[in-house]
Amino acid sequence: MSNPSPKAHLVRLAAVLVGVLVVFLIIKQMVVPDSWNYEEWYREGALALNASEPLAYGGNESCAACHQETNDELAEFKHKALSCESCHGALADHVTDGVKTAAAQVDDESTWQCLNCHEARVSKPEGFPQFDKVAIKEHTEIEEGMLCLACHTPHDPTP
Amino acid sequence: METLGLPGGALVNYIFPNNAHVVWSIMIVLYPYITGLVAGAFVVSSMYHVFGVKEFKPIANFALIAAFSFGLFAAVPLLFHLGQPQRAYEIYTTPHTTSAMSIFGYVYSSYLVLLMIEIWIIYRRVFIEKANEATGVMAIFWRVLCLDITTYNPESAQFDKKVAKFLAGIGIPWACLLHGYVGFVFGSVKAVAWWATALQPFIFLSSAIVSGMAMLFVMYSFIMWRRGGHYDYVLVKKFMISLWMAFILDYSLEVLEVTFVSYEQGAHWAVIKPLLLGPLYESYVLGQMGLLSIGPLLVLGIVSLLDIRGKALLYLANLGSLMLVFQVLVMRFNVVVGGQLISKSERGFVDYEFEFFSKEGLLTAIIIFVAPFVTYYVISRFIPIFEGKSMDTEPKRGIL
Amino acid sequence: MKNMKKIVEMEMPSIPDSRREFLIRLLEGTATATVLMVFGPGASAHGPETGISGSLEPAKHNYAYIIDINKCIGCGNCVRACKRENSVPADYFRTWVERYVVRADGVYVDSPNGALEGFEKLNKKFRDNIQLSRTVPKMCNHCHNPPCVQVCPVGATFKSPEGFVLVDHDYCLGCAYCVQACPYAARFINPVKHKSDKCTWCYHRVKKGKLPACVTVCPQKARLFGDLNDVESEVSKIFEKDHWMVLKPEMHTDPTCFYIGLPREVV
Repeated sequence: MSNPSPKAHLVRLAAVLVGVLVVFLIIKQMVVPDSWNYEEWYREGALALNASEPLAYGGNESCAACHQETNDELAEFKHKALSCESCHGALADHVTDGVKTAAAQVDDESTWQCLNCHEARVSKPEGFPQFDKVAIKEHTEIEEGMLCLACHTPHDPTP
Repeated sequence: METLGLPGGALVNYIFPNNAHVVWSIMIVLYPYITGLVAGAFVVSSMYHVFGVKEFKPIANFALIAAFSFGLFAAVPLLFHLGQPQRAYEIYTTPHTTSAMSIFGYVYSSYLVLLMIEIWIIYRRVFIEKANEATGVMAIFWRVLCLDITTYNPESAQFDKKVAKFLAGIGIPWACLLHGYVGFVFGSVKAVAWWATALQPFIFLSSAIVSGMAMLFVMYSFIMWRRGGHYDYVLVKKFMISLWMAFILDYSLEVLEVTFVSYEQGAHWAVIKPLLLGPLYESYVLGQMGLLSIGPLLVLGIVSLLDIRGKALLYLANLGSLMLVFQVLVMRFNVVVGGQLISKSERGFVDYEFEFFSKEGLLTAIIIFVAPFVTYYVISRFIPIFEGKSMDTEPKRGIL
Repeated sequence: MKNMKKIVEMEMPSIPDSRREFLIRLLEGTATATVLMVFGPGASAHGPETGISGSLEPAKHNYAYIIDINKCIGCGNCVRACKRENSVPADYFRTWVERYVVRADGVYVDSPNGALEGFEKLNKKFRDNIQLSRTVPKMCNHCHNPPCVQVCPVGATFKSPEGFVLVDHDYCLGCAYCVQACPYAARFINPVKHKSDKCTWCYHRVKKGKLPACVTVCPQKARLFGDLNDVESEVSKIFEKDHWMVLKPEMHTDPTCFYIGLPREVV
């Protein structure tokens, strides 16, 4: 010990570095997720994770499961192409595990849902039915605050 | 539409909804800045250790310790920036090699290890002396630091010198890699017009050297002033000439970049021009490229070319260096934040406001930025950084 | 695609040299096993340009999303449904709708709160002398060559075997490099989860046989989602007409979101 070789400190340093490297590699091996896909470089468990997100919207077919009658009527209606949930709200806010938890009520206190689609806008396709206060005679008598639903039925809004 | 200062014939400022927030803010400004200081300071140290620039001998060790102090904190802004800092280890465990950012962990860590070994080799004699003098806990500390080799003989001293030179030698490309890659991280993003240029790595690297040198000089002046004003004027003069040349290179690249994009009149210029004349006018045109560049060019030019001595030299050198310290800081801001001010809608600019108290705010930035200086101070309490005696015995050199 | 032809020749010499027929068989599952045995699992199923990944397994699905600008009325049903379906935080959007108004003196664009509540009547200042006006839905383009996946430093965002560009929320660092790299601003850092967030094409819904929420609620069928490998699908029929456009083609991201009737002013 009293007279170590002139390179002894470097040998020890190298030993320390190798030790650190080995520990690092061992930890690295342990920490990499089991389902790691080395070809595409991602964790395959992430697929299941993404797929496990809960559904909020069920689509019209899930509405028909309980509301078959309304669904049958719809076929004849003008608004048959619409998604029930776009006005009635998401399925998940109405039903949980097949049990009704809240009413799927529409906002029938205002006209915004009707106007949102049907109020005239320059950006809307020309063939699309658009509501313009001035252009339709009957509408000139409309008072402020009057609901569309007072005259039109929402599912089959024939003029 | 030029009168409105908006690109793409926009009648109103339109930014994509998800562009409303600048996601890379002050922390990402600070990160390349501190990294640059590391690279710059290391280059100064290497000038003596590798290239044998004798004038820089008195500050070779100082530069190394300063580089290490900055290096310890280079990654800290990133940790504050990350949404999930506890997962930062993933950059080591699953680095995605298609990403420019993925090599950060390995390049940064290996560079820091290299710096530590270099310092260890150079300071081994000191550590051994301390180990033999100290008692109690400190004795154990120093002994561990010496790896339990407590004699220092001439052969190993000779050998250490070679190792130090070798490490300093490979340290230069390593420092360039560390900082050039930071520029690559930005330069390779095609979606951000203001970043996407192959010159970016070189601009980052050259500005890193400038900022590192300038910061080192300001620190040197301050430390020497605290020690009673024993400035080494030969060193100061040589340092300023080197800094001036480094900045000329840096500024040329910065000018080249903007001139090229401008002359090219391509798709990028369509959004960059209104950016530079609009949101970045003060900080880029007036600040970075104007006052903070022309100023140092003139000041350092005067210092380098004219026969200026004594206090006047010192004051001018500090003025020039301080301006450069800020020039590079503003440059980092203009690149990092400036690039994100162009909405990807290509029809509008994002509003950026400084935050002070938030996680990534200015207060955090200031604390992180002060930390390397505190670290340097602590280290300087334990080991001699300037060989005080040799400085004191040669005051005549200062008179010229 | 050349590779696929080779496989046909190698594995099924009796079958006529027809890519389409091969794909139909593949969909029915008869060829899948053979191909998997030869080329092994874990390979990617990217779209037409598999040269990047080097994988030989042909795509089982080639999902595409088609947005018909001529049908969109800008009601914002899709934006609302997406927010609810995916719990997207306020002020951030996995999908949003933009309104373009093209005039002789320039282009007016807006997207008030991502069109979450549709669009107000256009400001009078911009209502006159309109040459063209359209509402344009935007979302993640699920690119074949996604810059976000390329730049993710840890592999926390990836292209799924089905072609969806997804984020691994248990692995994302929240570094936001992907946010920078996306030319479409489709990504954001979720301010609640502090992780990268984006449209998943409702992966969780598609996996359960449903359509993405935005497609489900679109009253105009302006948004369509389907499999281009399924020749009977609506998207295939529209796609065959070959009138589609993609956003920012100069970025060479090779999107799988296709636009019909996209005005040239749209960025």
